[in-house]
Amino acid sequence: MKKLVWLLFLSLFLVLVAGCSYENPESASSEPEQSGEEGEGTSDTSTADIIKVGLDVDAGSMDPRLAKDTSAARVEELVYDGLVRLNANLEPEPALATEWENPDETTWIFTLREDVTFQDGEPFTAEDVKYTFDTILDPDFQAPYLSLYEPIKSVEVIDETHVKFNLKEPYAPLLSYLDIGIVPKHIAEKGDVLSSEPVGTGPYKMVNWEKNNQINFEANEDYWGGTPKTPKITYFIIPDNTTRVAALESGDVDFVHSPLSPQDISRIEKNDEFKVEKTQALGFTYLNYNMKNEILSDVKIRQALSHLVNKNVISEEIYQGMDSPGKSPLIPASWAYTDNVPEFEYDPDKALELFAEAGWEDTDGDGILDKDGKKLSLTLSTHSEDPNRIQIVEYLQNEFTQVGVETEVLTNEWPTFSTSLMEGNFDIGLVGWLNLVGPDRAMYNQFYSDSGSNYGKYSNARVDELLEKGRRVSDQAERTKIYQEAAKIVTEEVAYDVLLYQGYIAMYDKNLNGFEIHPTGSLYGLKDAELTN
Amino acid sequence: MMTFVGKRLLQLIPVLLGISILVFLLLHLIPGDPALTLLGQEATPEDVERIREILGLNEPLYVQLFVFLKNLVQGDLGVSIFQDVPVLTLVLSQLPATLELAFLALVIAVIIAVPLGIISAVKQFSWLDYVSMFFAQLGVSMPVFWLGMLLIIQFSVNMNIFPSFGRGDPLVESFIMTIQSGNLYYVIESFKYLILPALTLGVMSAAMITRMVRSSMLEVLNEDYIRTAEAKGVRSFWVILKHAFRNALIPVITIVGLQFGNLLGGAIVTETVFGWPGIGRLIITAISQRDFPVVQGSVLVIALLFAIINLVVDLLYALINPKIKSN
Amino acid sequence: MAQLEPANNPEHVTIPLKKSSKVKDFLSLMVKSKSVLIGGIIVLIVILSAIFAPLIATHDPNEMEMSKRLMGPMEEGHLLGTDNYGRDLFSRIVYGARVSLEVGVVSVSVSLLIGVTLGLVAGYYGGWLDNIIMRTVDIVLSFPVLLLAIALVAALGPGIDNVILALGLIYWTNYARIVRANVMALKEEEYIQAAKTIGSSDFRIIFYNILPNCLAPIIVVATLGIGIAIVAEATLSFLGLGIQPPDSSWGWTLSFGMKFIRDAAHLSIYPGLAIMFTVLGFNLLGDGIRDLTDSKTK
Repeated sequence: MKKLVWLLFLSLFLVLVAGCSYENPESASSEPEQSGEEGEGTSDTSTADIIKVGLDVDAGSMDPRLAKDTSAARVEELVYDGLVRLNANLEPEPALATEWENPDETTWIFTLREDVTFQDGEPFTAEDVKYTFDTILDPDFQAPYLSLYEPIKSVEVIDETHVKFNLKEPYAPLLSYLDIGIVPKHIAEKGDVLSSEPVGTGPYKMVNWEKNNQINFEANEDYWGGTPKTPKITYFIIPDNTTRVAALESGDVDFVHSPLSPQDISRIEKNDEFKVEKTQALGFTYLNYNMKNEILSDVKIRQALSHLVNKNVISEEIYQGMDSPGKSPLIPASWAYTDNVPEFEYDPDKALELFAEAGWEDTDGDGILDKDGKKLSLTLSTHSEDPNRIQIVEYLQNEFTQVGVETEVLTNEWPTFSTSLMEGNFDIGLVGWLNLVGPDRAMYNQFYSDSGSNYGKYSNARVDELLEKGRRVSDQAERTKIYQEAAKIVTEEVAYDVLLYQGYIAMYDKNLNGFEIHPTGSLYGLKDAELTN
Repeated sequence: MMTFVGKRLLQLIPVLLGISILVFLLLHLIPGDPALTLLGQEATPEDVERIREILGLNEPLYVQLFVFLKNLVQGDLGVSIFQDVPVLTLVLSQLPATLELAFLALVIAVIIAVPLGIISAVKQFSWLDYVSMFFAQLGVSMPVFWLGMLLIIQFSVNMNIFPSFGRGDPLVESFIMTIQSGNLYYVIESFKYLILPALTLGVMSAAMITRMVRSSMLEVLNEDYIRTAEAKGVRSFWVILKHAFRNALIPVITIVGLQFGNLLGGAIVTETVFGWPGIGRLIITAISQRDFPVVQGSVLVIALLFAIINLVVDLLYALINPKIKSN
Repeated sequence: MAQLEPANNPEHVTIPLKKSSKVKDFLSLMVKSKSVLIGGIIVLIVILSAIFAPLIATHDPNEMEMSKRLMGPMEEGHLLGTDNYGRDLFSRIVYGARVSLEVGVVSVSVSLLIGVTLGLVAGYYGGWLDNIIMRTVDIVLSFPVLLLAIALVAALGPGIDNVILALGLIYWTNYARIVRANVMALKEEEYIQAAKTIGSSDFRIIFYNILPNCLAPIIVVATLGIGIAIVAEATLSFLGLGIQPPDSSWGWTLSFGMKFIRDAAHLSIYPGLAIMFTVLGFNLLGDGIRDLTDSKTK
């Protein structure tokens, strides 16, 4: 009896399976197109209707006012427009604002683009601009980048297409920060919906977000900048760098962007199936010296340690040329960049001389430098998320130890590490800065005496004065001079030892055309990209 | 039976309460400030202070604990600091993926382990026995993430058979689609994503279950009544399957249930390697962001699942072996 | 310890061989001791390489040579190639045995100390003490141990000592349960009762009469536990919560080597094999001992 039942089940199952077909429904539905293409010449190129992008982390809040992670930024670049957009030279170009004027030092008037609609069909107006900045400036709103906009006193609507920004004080860097996405007031007012369902004026609209898995976009046919070339874009979240590049190689994604592992890049470069594009990014990686540390408060020690850092080895071996050796906080992509800053070439003998000048010598023969019975002992710390930085500290530990600096390494998760930076609870920290759209962003918060991001409590009256002045002066040539002087001072005094200027890399299918890599890492350029089959 | 279940459920309450308190305290011991991680590197100390105030992080720890427990009792797991979504929504959105993965891993484990275990028991001391046992030992000796990485390199990159990351359509959905359309495409597409992570996750359980099947089969095979059956000349294949395996099933069920719990834990690593959007990755991400409510909520849900599975296993145990119940 | 306990502990479901014939007994002893033999040899090799690391290693394990990074096996006298700092991988693996064994053995000792003490107390005194201890066991067992390890290491900070402590603090539950069950069974035995009536102190009864009788299962679980701890340490390293350089366990070498898996696979394959080999040794040894003691006691 039992056997009979089983037999019945089995035959039923077999019938079911036999009755099933196996075909890709999508290819089946697009069959007519394909047959048309077979007669060669009717259309010589067929383009894919989707570009698949691999991203490293899932996005947090997608509301541009609240967003702070890179993936949320990658979403905004497709979904939102700012008043301006920074071009590859970081100069502001018209976006939602078509032109702007600066009648006096504390007033900016923007003329807005007409006939722009949000992706829900509602028109974009001056009210939306005012609302966006009003909320950012409201401390209770918890906007992470509030401090960048703090010099704005108020935003006034002049008429439908004109807004006026009133500043508390002259604020030269303002335009660089006005690329932040403008949100639709009528939706944002209803509460916190934009965080997970963004609606902007940008080239793509987000259609759905499967958390920790994928984010899907569809072209915004009514985009004021023209209909995007590829109808769909999907961001796949693949946390592991190696897996993400493996996905590119196996064709599961078409496009990946930094952060990447250096060794993967050199391999892909040798592979004809892919294109590799590089650019200078807006960031640098540096050693932050804690001035409150008794040993490190001596500038000679900091200079000596700088002579122990072989930036070429770090750049060429650990980073495989992905990031280039750095010099000062003024990055090459910046208009204020200069090569003319003090340099501490790799020279362990020179380092020993400087240690000796500062009174540190190995008197007891234990291989460790000492002074007044105290050992020269330091801790090098960084965060555990970035394997390249772990390699730097481990490499430097070895270099430091060899000349007699007792060095411990501490790698913690980012939240722990950043808290210790904030609290000044570190000796030498290996950190980086991103999004340095201008010299103010690269220096003010970092070196101004009372500033919150001045982890090492560096203080120099002349630098403070220069950084203040840099914000007030609007003439770019004069600002260049100001920032270059400040950069020289902080480099000479080794507040930071800038190890690397960061680079951005995009690697993609060789059939993907039209994308241009951007120093901010922006994927806005995907709107002009198409993938031919 | 009902009183048994009721008693067990009652016992669950102090355990869950203990877990809540333990997780809460542990998380607050971890250095790193959620407000700071929320605001990012460019935050000023004033910003951080302001956000701490809003998030209630400036209250004394016992007050925070009290608020957490009070909300918990009302079924409120709180809101994610980072995603601004209720924790329960977040957890429930990720849970099916993990259950799907753990379930398939278990199926794979059983498919591998039961025949291996039976063969090695029946052919005790043969080379088949040694080989199966060696593989079982190997399975528990490998770090999961290493195996996963090797599988990706071999099957996704070198051979390009399976996708290297992520999840396709939910298995249940694609199953329904296949039934409706009669097109196997849907199910097979979902399976392509599942197979490598499930295999990675299942290998360790397979090893454990193989050992269990073998040893309990051996024991039953040595019982007198099996020998009698053998002596009577019943075809040995049926002897083994019908008598021995049914009796060997009890410890096997126990370990299978136990493994399901372990799989939920193992999923943390597997999901990270394969980019599988499940609760394990949710927890890892939340820990790295110090998103306390999400970690607390996810851990509680996992603990609850764990307890329910154990309960079900014990019930099955009692059902299959009425002898124990009467003890 | 009836069916009301959650079935979390595999030790409780192991069913030992009973009533086997003489021939089969003999045969099974053979295979069992074979697994003890093989396992023992493996473990011995690992221990010896840890002790004699300076003699076996071909290079200074910490000597960096950045120009020679990621060399393949057998290149320029590097038996297994070099790592991402140009250090000799073979020498690092040989020295790594020290760290990995330390992690395994010390963390198991911590677990033993906690687990055995609590198990004895719970089993011997019973009552509310037993209740509290066993509920704690339930709590620890009711969520994935890995998660607990992650949280503990995150809280304690990275570094080898903290990793060992964290692993020790989470893997004690099995010992507590085994000891408790054994103590409860032994407590009622006549000779224990007799010892009590002649006025032996609790301490004496516990350490002279009871503990020696639960040694066998403890040794089994502890042996298996060393393997588990070594793998757990590797996993923590993979999640970025491992030891700190320049210390280097196999787990750290492996998980860091995985970043180079496409271009220098030897960096993750050899430490992975070392882990597998060692854990296999401990597993064979543990299982072998279990089988032997099981059949001996029946």
